Formats: sequence, C-alpha cells, structure tokens
Amino acid sequence: MTIDILFIWTAFKEIIKALPITLILTILPLLAGFIIGLAVALIRIYKVKFLCRVANVYVSFFRGTPIIMHIMLIYFGFPLLIDQISKKFDLGIQSNSIPIILFVLTALSLSAGAYLSEIFRSGIISVSNGQMEAAYSVGMNSFQAMTRIVLPQAIAQSIPNFTNIFIGFLHTSSIAFIVSQKEMTGAANIVASTNLKFLESFIAAGLIYWGLTIIAEGLSFLIEKKATAYNRGGVQ
Amino acid sequence: MIYLKDIKKSFNQQPVLKGINLKIGKGEVVTILGPSGSGKTTLLRCLNFLEKPDEGIVQVGDVQVESKKATKREILSLRRQSAMVFQHYNLFAHKTVLENVMEGLIVTKKYKKAEAKRESELLLEKVGLGDKHNYFPSQLSGGQQQRVGIARALALNPEVILFDEPTSALDPELVGEVLSVIKAIAQEGITMVIVTHEMSFAKEVSDRVLFMDRGVIVEEGSPLEIFNAPKEERTRQFLNRISRDFSVSFLEERAN
Repeated sequence: MTIDILFIWTAFKEIIKALPITLILTILPLLAGFIIGLAVALIRIYKVKFLCRVANVYVSFFRGTPIIMHIMLIYFGFPLLIDQISKKFDLGIQSNSIPIILFVLTALSLSAGAYLSEIFRSGIISVSNGQMEAAYSVGMNSFQAMTRIVLPQAIAQSIPNFTNIFIGFLHTSSIAFIVSQKEMTGAANIVASTNLKFLESFIAAGLIYWGLTIIAEGLSFLIEKKATAYNRGGVQ
Repeated sequence: MIYLKDIKKSFNQQPVLKGINLKIGKGEVVTILGPSGSGKTTLLRCLNFLEKPDEGIVQVGDVQVESKKATKREILSLRRQSAMVFQHYNLFAHKTVLENVMEGLIVTKKYKKAEAKRESELLLEKVGLGDKHNYFPSQLSGGQQQRVGIARALALNPEVILFDEPTSALDPELVGEVLSVIKAIAQEGITMVIVTHEMSFAKEVSDRVLFMDRGVIVEEGSPLEIFNAPKEERTRQFLNRISRDFSVSFLEERAN
C-alpha cells in the first residue's frame, strides 16, 4: 500500500466543508453548558433544598457515563417520550420531523453542563472566603458579592480549564457521526470510503483538528494573560 | 451608638461568648485586648453579623437586630452601619486600588462613578497612596494593602469602623505606617472598635480598653486604669506576660 500525499489535500478540502457543523456541535453545547454548569455549581455550593440533590444526581450521572451513551439515550429515548406526550395532549408533533442535530446538541449540552459545573465549583471555591466577607462588610448582599467579586475571579482562574473542555468537546463532537450527523470525522469517513483512501482522509481530518486546537490554545493563552493580570504581582 | 445585650455564641457546643453586654458611645475609640481564644475577634464579627450570635441583641447606629429572629434584610442594613478592616486585608484581588475603594460607594451608596472616583482619590491621598491608584493588591506591600483596606472602610462613611487585628499579619517594619494612619483617623472623631495586640498603640489611641478572657469582658476602663492599675488578677497576669515577652524578645535581639 502506498500513501497518496496529494490526496490528503483533496480530502482536506472536502472535509473542511463540514467544519461549520463541527463548530456548531462544539460551541453551542458549551454555551448552554456554561449556563447549566453555573446554575448547578451555585445550587451545590449554596446547598439549595431539593434542587441540590437533583444537581448531585445530574452531575454524578453525566460525568459517570460516556458521552456516546448520552447521545444514544437521547437520540433513541427522546423521540419515544415526545411521541407519547404529543399523543396524550394532541400536540401533533412528530419526532421524526425533529432534526437529528437537536438531539445531539441536547445530549452534548447536558454533558458539558455537568463537566463545567465542576469547573465553576472549583473556581468559586478558589476565591478566598475573606473577600466574600469583605464584600458583606461593605454592605453588599450575597448576589452582589457573587457577581461583582467572586465570579469574575472564579471565571478568570478557570480559563485553562475551559480551554481543556473546549478541546475535549471539539474532539468529542466527532461521535455525533454514529447517529448520522455529518461533521468532520463523518465527512472524513465518507471521503475515505468513497475513494478507498482511509489513511489519507484521516490524516487530513487529524490535521484540521490539530490546527483548531492550536488556535484555541493560542487564544486561551492571550485571554488568560489579560484576564488574570491582577494576580501576577510585580510592579507595573 | 453601639449596644450589645447578652450576646452568646458557641462553635460546636464550645461557648466562645458567654453573654456580652456593652455600650459604646459616638466618637469613642475602644480597644479589645485579651489572650488568643478569648473571643475578641468573634465579638467584633458579631457586630456586623459575619458571625451570627446565637442569642442577644445587636444595635449599631439606629439599626437593632435580635439575633434569633434576624432576617436577611435586617442583617444587610446592620452591615451598612459599619465597615471592617481585616487582619488579612481581604482586598478585592481583581480590582485596582482605586476600584477597591470605589466599590462600596458604587454598590451600596449608589454614587455615580465620577463622584465615587473623586471621593476615593481623596481618601487614598489621605492614607498616603495617592500614587498607587492603578495598582492591583498583589503589587503592594502588606502595609500598603492594609492602608487600602482602611481607605475602603472610610469611604463608606460608616457609624463605626471595626478593626480586626489590623497589624497582626504585617512585617514589624510595616506596622508603624498602618498604626499612624489609624491614629490619624481616630483623631477625627470616628467611632472605632479595635482588636489588637499592640499594647503601646492601644494605650495611646483608645478612650476605653476592654480586657476579655474566656468569653467574658473581665475588666474595662481607661487605658491608664487598665495598664497601670488593673483590678483583676487575670488582667494583671496577661499584661505581665506580654511585658515579659517584650523584654525577653528585646534581650534575645541584643544577644544576637
């Protein structure tokens, strides 16, 4: 077997067409997960009655099972649920008219929420309790102290962790292909099997993922440098 | 002005305050002395409910709170009567020196930004940090950070400023700059409650000295009375021990 170097470029051009889908499958779940994660982290830190237990089970389940399983469960489970509810209340919604990508996005968002909640929790805990007390002592209420003093620092400290999750989810988005959502890995698979050039196609896909990761790391580095400038001491 | 009635507080069934009654008048400077574990800091923190007393009444300014029934709103308005200077400064790490002082003005006093800025600049000038507006706390020495803490407290123009061992975390050579700032504001007639281990400072600055031990106020009086003629045995022992420590460490330094 020989390797067709030129075909890597051909495959590259074909695969990169699926880049928007990959980005959608990465960024939207992370944005949704950001909100879910923050809410869950606050619920667990403040030990809100009842909700706290729900949050614990949620985090435990979604971090304790593989993401591929969340996609499967939601892809096969939700249509059943939706059809049942639709029939009962006569809503006239048919599950097969719902685009697949919505199921994938839901599954990935729920997973991202669970992982991000732990990042938020560690970020919030890392801000010294003394600053919270100082905020109270100048007359802030808990909400003001959280939003003005604690969260900005918690989020700035968590930037490397967010980058980690971003990179992880960029690569995880590839498993959407198992429910026939054609993102980059899916595109690579199709190019590979139609041309019978597997190695070349996956090298091309690999290069794109690697390039995206390098860009993400670079951006993260710049943002982190700016956001945590307060913490580095030294004289200006 | 400040009125405490029968304040009790325990941590894990271990009583720390065993019924404190106290009145402090407007403009009075009161220092609280006592061995560690005597409840001084807890008492101070009960004044702004950073520690919630188990029992008793706390009044600061015209806000009175009954500990057992305290609501969030009551606690908030009680806290807005006072300001606190912390042992470990507790400056807002992500905000510059100027923003640290402005924060309380903007959030709780609802000042406009420009107004808050002008006010804060004046205060920073007063504590000798007029040239450090845009520094972050991590870029300052301990003494400078504590002076920012004092400016942040002053900005609120509170009924009372609570000092929780303001110099205990400082290098010995930086203690002086902080104490002189506190002395200067004491002379302006602001009510202050100070927990400290600096005996000569307490002697100099306070109108009244309280000596606490094992959760009760053992003795109180003017600095002259407490330091020169303590009535209680426990006060005498404490002061003796402290002054002996002083002379021992002085001798050690000489020996070295």
